[in-house]
Amino acid sequence: MLGLVLFLLCWYFISFLTHFPYPHLVLLRFLELLIIPESVLGKTLLQHTAASLCRVLVASAFAFSFAIPLGILSGWSRKFRSLFLPIIDSLRPIPPLAWIPLAYIIFARIPNTILISQLFIVFIGAFFPCFISVFDSARNTPKEFIEMARVFNADNKTILLDIILPHSLQGISTGIRVGLAVGWMCIIAAEMIATTGEGLGYFILVMYEVGGRVTEIVSGIAMIGIVGYALNNLLLSFEKVIIRWR
Amino acid sequence: MVEQLKLGEIDAFVAWEPFVSEAVVKGYGRILVTSSEIWPNHPCCVVAARKGLDKDTLTAFVWAHIKATRFINENKNSDEILTYSTEFTGMDKEVVKQALKRIKFVEFPEINEFKFYFNKLKESGYLTHKVTDLGYANEEYFFKDFINEEIYKHVAKKLRTNSSWKPRSVNSTLRVGYLTADLHQLAFYVALKGGYFDEVGLRIIKKEYPNGVYEMEGFKLGEIDIGYLGSAPATLKRVNDNVSIRIIAGVNNEGSAIVVKEGINTISELAGKKVAIPGFGTVQDFLLKLAMEKLR
Repeated sequence: MLGLVLFLLCWYFISFLTHFPYPHLVLLRFLELLIIPESVLGKTLLQHTAASLCRVLVASAFAFSFAIPLGILSGWSRKFRSLFLPIIDSLRPIPPLAWIPLAYIIFARIPNTILISQLFIVFIGAFFPCFISVFDSARNTPKEFIEMARVFNADNKTILLDIILPHSLQGISTGIRVGLAVGWMCIIAAEMIATTGEGLGYFILVMYEVGGRVTEIVSGIAMIGIVGYALNNLLLSFEKVIIRWR
Repeated sequence: MVEQLKLGEIDAFVAWEPFVSEAVVKGYGRILVTSSEIWPNHPCCVVAARKGLDKDTLTAFVWAHIKATRFINENKNSDEILTYSTEFTGMDKEVVKQALKRIKFVEFPEINEFKFYFNKLKESGYLTHKVTDLGYANEEYFFKDFINEEIYKHVAKKLRTNSSWKPRSVNSTLRVGYLTADLHQLAFYVALKGGYFDEVGLRIIKKEYPNGVYEMEGFKLGEIDIGYLGSAPATLKRVNDNVSIRIIAGVNNEGSAIVVKEGINTISELAGKKVAIPGFGTVQDFLLKLAMEKLR
């Protein structure tokens, strides 16, 4: 609470010294934009948010459905790890946004190139953090558990589903949380480079291009922060429900 | 946009030359209607200058610009212009040849059309400030300052009495912004190639921008003294962000078009189709709106 007050005080101080809009003005405009369509693009802030959020959720869901099984397999099997990890490790340091031009070329022949490319960028952004997190927790399953299971003649399937998977739940949950956060950052940036007519990144860029709309830009940025914060907290409370033994 | 039309991402676009001709010559689309048919003499590119440059320097620059514009409009120079155009834009001869036909190179914009554009911006809610917020008593004063005829008129008058008149040599350096491969701004290239700036003692440092919004940012940050750019970013950023510039000469009127892919034959068939525009509040944005309004 004290932090928030301090933050607002700093903001007022900066606004007082510069042309930066005051917090209460931004808040008013923000609330207005939520329900009243903005005149240039003819859409409300909620519509832009929904558009961006949809893209992130779809692409991240795809990313997780690859990253989680691959992460568990790589954590469990030494063979699989030696095959797969070098590929992941060499692609991982590439920033998702660096893929944008290439994505346009790869997907040029498919309809909706730009949308598909944006989804692809989010996929890349969400995949790697999730994979690493799942992989790490799967690999750290205590050896004793697995050896014990083997003594009792458990087959691979049982070991995988009853020992490694539960042990990886924490990693999966963290992976989804971090993956979504990175995906959310990626979509905003991807929307600023090419457009499909709506989305928070696009909104902010157009407001800048038309000019004189700092409050709108700050409102858009605030929305990005709010959604990111909400996503994180939502997933944290999910985690508490699912992983009760923590 | 040319690429997007080719890929079928969009059904049509409104753009300026040489991109209209590029799409046509490469066979990706055809011209549905040119901007001269929709809005005759509509403003397009202009020469803008930051405030605070001395009059002699501005006069020298405007003189070189006018000389280049007149050179372009002279029929006997058409071969040379064609070569300059391909060099400047990096496009095929066939493309620039077609494009040149649709551009009206001018020395000064039509002020009334400019006011019409300004009013359109105002009506559509693009402007966040009134001219009184910028310290002008009314719009008349604003336009007098924003579209500054004084220097152009002085140079034009001198040239009328003596066509080989040359302003005083100034010995100064100007940083000039322009847009990548924008054929409208050919006069700048011609003036450079023809040595017109040297003749009046101007040293030019070129600075290329991908679009007018960034070029206005360049003005704001003090990166350039003079710039060739579209009237849209010039007006929007002048009013909305109070970037302190004024227009000192024209570059061209018209020179845009609505380009469509196969199967669209009338403006009304654009309904429900994906039409790309270079940006909200741009002249091309309004060209499309005006074309639609004419239908009603």
